[in-house]
Amino acid sequence: MEQDEFFGEKAFQHCCAEFIKHSQLIGDGWEWRTSKDCSDGYMCKTHLQIKNGTVAPRPRPSAHEQTGLPMEEAAELALDDAEAAEVPAVSPVIRYEYHVLYSCSFQVPVLYFRASFLDGRPLTLEDIWEGVHECYRTRLLQGPWDTITQQEHPILGQPFFVLHPCKTNEFMTPVLKNPQKINRNINYVTSWLSVVGPVVGLNLPLSYAQAASQDM
Amino acid sequence: GLLLVLPGLATIPSTSVEGQFPLATFPTSAGERHTAVIVFLSTFTVDILLKAVGDTPIMKTKKWAVERTRTIQGLIDFIRKFLKLMASEQLFIYVNQSFAPSPDQEVGTLYECFGSDGKLVLHYCKSQAWG
Repeated sequence: MEQDEFFGEKAFQHCCAEFIKHSQLIGDGWEWRTSKDCSDGYMCKTHLQIKNGTVAPRPRPSAHEQTGLPMEEAAELALDDAEAAEVPAVSPVIRYEYHVLYSCSFQVPVLYFRASFLDGRPLTLEDIWEGVHECYRTRLLQGPWDTITQQEHPILGQPFFVLHPCKTNEFMTPVLKNPQKINRNINYVTSWLSVVGPVVGLNLPLSYAQAASQDM
Repeated sequence: GLLLVLPGLATIPSTSVEGQFPLATFPTSAGERHTAVIVFLSTFTVDILLKAVGDTPIMKTKKWAVERTRTIQGLIDFIRKFLKLMASEQLFIYVNQSFAPSPDQEVGTLYECFGSDGKLVLHYCKSQAWG
């Protein structure tokens, strides 16, 4: 694929297709969705995450299962355990949705996302900030309204948070134009998402990097 | 006294003393005892070559021995301080010249996946990305 400055919608769709191919290979959960009316499409992924953590814990076996005691005795044992041990507060599980769309006005991909608790309550912008990785927090907190805003999803028409695309060219151009890069193919969407994803809790597995340099 | 023998690479200062083993004590003519501590850097560190991208300042020292458990975030913080970047400037690190590993990714893992010829090449780029 030619690495010229103009990243058109076709290029976007091609990059997404390659990206999703790899996602399917490693079971990373990305899908392509099209809107019924037009040929517009976008990539999306949903994942569950414990607030301020990453992996939901496996439920511990009940005392009955653990001890093999009859139910009533096991229940007493469990009660004793609960009183004796510290009962940790239940960390809420958050459902994150990430959508990658193409912005015709900026001619770059854009990351839309939203998050809600399992009961459907959406997270507030403040909650989202708490989830932003430490190394980005200082900078983003200086001007959050410039970088993460709430907007209507262009295809679904629902409110989403958006990582503003106006600076995308600024950090993508040096990467694309790197003169040291000889005959190296870059998947724009992979590179871009690897940079912006971690800002909002989305980390790409390393194998995407290896896939990107082999494709195209 | 303590002699520290290092291969010819700069080391990013670490607060841990892992990897330092006293190998031998030997008396000197003055009757003092010296301990030679040879740091087995290759076991605990990986060799990294840092390359600047775009307008980013070039680091005077490009080759570094970094302990395997150092994260990308840790490396970013180090380079930022070294280059004296402003708080508003963001620094990105790339493997394969195009992919930014997540901040918690360890350098040792990146070396396993992307290292060659005994080193890991990392490109770094500064940006006003969100400013």
